[in-house]
Amino acid sequence: MAGTSTDVTTPPGVTFTCGHCGASLGFVGVRTQTCPYCASPNFVERPPGGHQPRPALVVAFTGDAAVARRKLDHWLGSRTWFADARIKRARVEDLRGVYVPAYLYSAVAHTDYTASIGEHYTESETYETTDAEGKKKTETRSVTRTEYRALAGRHVGYVTDVIVSASVGLANAELQAVEPYDLLALRRYTPAVVSGWIAEEFSRDADDCRRASRGEAVDDVGLRLRRFMPGDSHSDLTWRTTVAWESLDPILVPVWVLAVRYRDDRSPLRVVINGQTGAIAGKVPLSWWKVTLGIVVAALLVAAVIFAIAQQGGQPG
Amino acid sequence: MTACTRCETALEDGDLRCAVCAFPAPAVVWSSVARSHAQVLRCGDCGAAVAFSAEAQAPRCGFCGATMAIEQPVDPVETAQLRLPFAVDREAAEAALRGWLGRRGWFAPRALSSEAVLESLTPLSWAAWLVNAEAQVTWAADSDAGARRSSWAPHAGQVSLGFHNIVVPASRGLREAECRLLIPYYELSRVVGVDRALGPGEVGSTIESFDAQRSAARRYVQDSIEATSKRRIEPQIPGRRYRNVHVACLLEHQTTDRIALPAWVLAYRYRGNPYRAIVHGQRPEVVFGKSPSDWTKVGTLVAITALLAAIIALAVLLR
Repeated sequence: MAGTSTDVTTPPGVTFTCGHCGASLGFVGVRTQTCPYCASPNFVERPPGGHQPRPALVVAFTGDAAVARRKLDHWLGSRTWFADARIKRARVEDLRGVYVPAYLYSAVAHTDYTASIGEHYTESETYETTDAEGKKKTETRSVTRTEYRALAGRHVGYVTDVIVSASVGLANAELQAVEPYDLLALRRYTPAVVSGWIAEEFSRDADDCRRASRGEAVDDVGLRLRRFMPGDSHSDLTWRTTVAWESLDPILVPVWVLAVRYRDDRSPLRVVINGQTGAIAGKVPLSWWKVTLGIVVAALLVAAVIFAIAQQGGQPG
Repeated sequence: MTACTRCETALEDGDLRCAVCAFPAPAVVWSSVARSHAQVLRCGDCGAAVAFSAEAQAPRCGFCGATMAIEQPVDPVETAQLRLPFAVDREAAEAALRGWLGRRGWFAPRALSSEAVLESLTPLSWAAWLVNAEAQVTWAADSDAGARRSSWAPHAGQVSLGFHNIVVPASRGLREAECRLLIPYYELSRVVGVDRALGPGEVGSTIESFDAQRSAARRYVQDSIEATSKRRIEPQIPGRRYRNVHVACLLEHQTTDRIALPAWVLAYRYRGNPYRAIVHGQRPEVVFGKSPSDWTKVGTLVAITALLAAIIALAVLLR
């Protein structure tokens, strides 16, 4: 049906000749490039073990730019009343579908934990009260109290599906805001999946990403531990996690990155959309006069309630 | 078939990662590129450059519309590899149903066994997974052992468990609750290959296909193993009563076989209304299903109970 042609080979570098028309192409920070003369999608193939890791797996885009625009319009239209009203009339200045480099981490996690486990119990207590005739009397009621017991134990499990951005352009926090990706749809990397799209090069050190992944893995263990604790409540949960059998795979994940200009005197708002699931994230600017108005209205309401209660309490019975 | 490097679970064709621990499966073919170079992907039909189409989920030529195949995540619908032969023939199944209808109790219509009309009697080999695995299981729970002011005290522990021939239902034809009633009575040592020819007098049956995709099935199998672990660690919990049992499993060496298990599915009609019953394919005494109730008898009992309650209430009020 189709084939791959190797047109030009050069030593490792950033400039290659377009495989279609021969124009010179600079691959700066990206693995793919569209030729400005013939619009051919070019991509760089490197030998394994080069200075750039070769992506092992990739999650493909599931929608085109029109789908991303619709998601954005819906998102902008559904912002809160406190958002700057101009956001709804914002114009998209730059919309790019990017395969962002990331690392997919998994490990075996052994965790030792200690916690204080709260176990409820009920007991009767007596208290004094006044009856309708103003006489003091003693009554009994049932109260729930909590007894705290120390617990130490172990927790084991696989930590999987931790994704950490390996792009300097897209911070890990931004990627986390649009996660998760459905990793059941992972494909093995082939240039055919990224052809015609921007595929960024790996620009963060693998060791940095491994450390960040471990941090996320330990946080994930913490979440599991909170669900793992027995008792009616718990506190003072501390844990020490040892990870073993770590794997760190270079992968590409699809992201739409948009620059949205809502005011000419402000820098554009950056919005990130998950290219697979459509999850969207961005920091919407607030309108400060609306926020101030909201606070004033809330304060007035509270004052009115207090005044009404005070008036009620002051009336002769 | 290769095994996962980390947990030694068997990997199947098309696996990109281990289904249990997510360790990456080794790639079959890695890049044979010796030096960096720029490439263009070209359409095999017209020679134009092609780009990946998100809509088609494949590289598509913008000129002639041709798409090219790329490695897809393999997620096939699976078929049984093993089957358990029927040990109950058609006559025995029908007799088991008649016997069961005759033992339906006081609320069943008196003429049920004689008037029920058998509409169909179908031998079905229903789909299930047969799972073997080892696991380190850590647990935490409350029990009455060591309790002080509260009736409960927290406990935690760790145990290694082996899971041998755990049957996990994958049937659409039978409900999960029905499968759970059948599972304990199967003699799995008699299992044969699904392609083995029928023996003399052996009942042939419809072998149910696995309706779940492999990826969904694995999650279901793991949930089932976790639920089984929970039951298996209960004897480890000190004390007589327990609650809030939580387990965390580290599965290793998991193998999953697909098996077809025998059952007779009977449809019968009583005074115009349809009912269904299941007879175990190896043990005819295991029969269950729905049967009609005699509403006259139910109404009579309710009336007698109400009358008795009224008499007691009256007696209490008159005291």
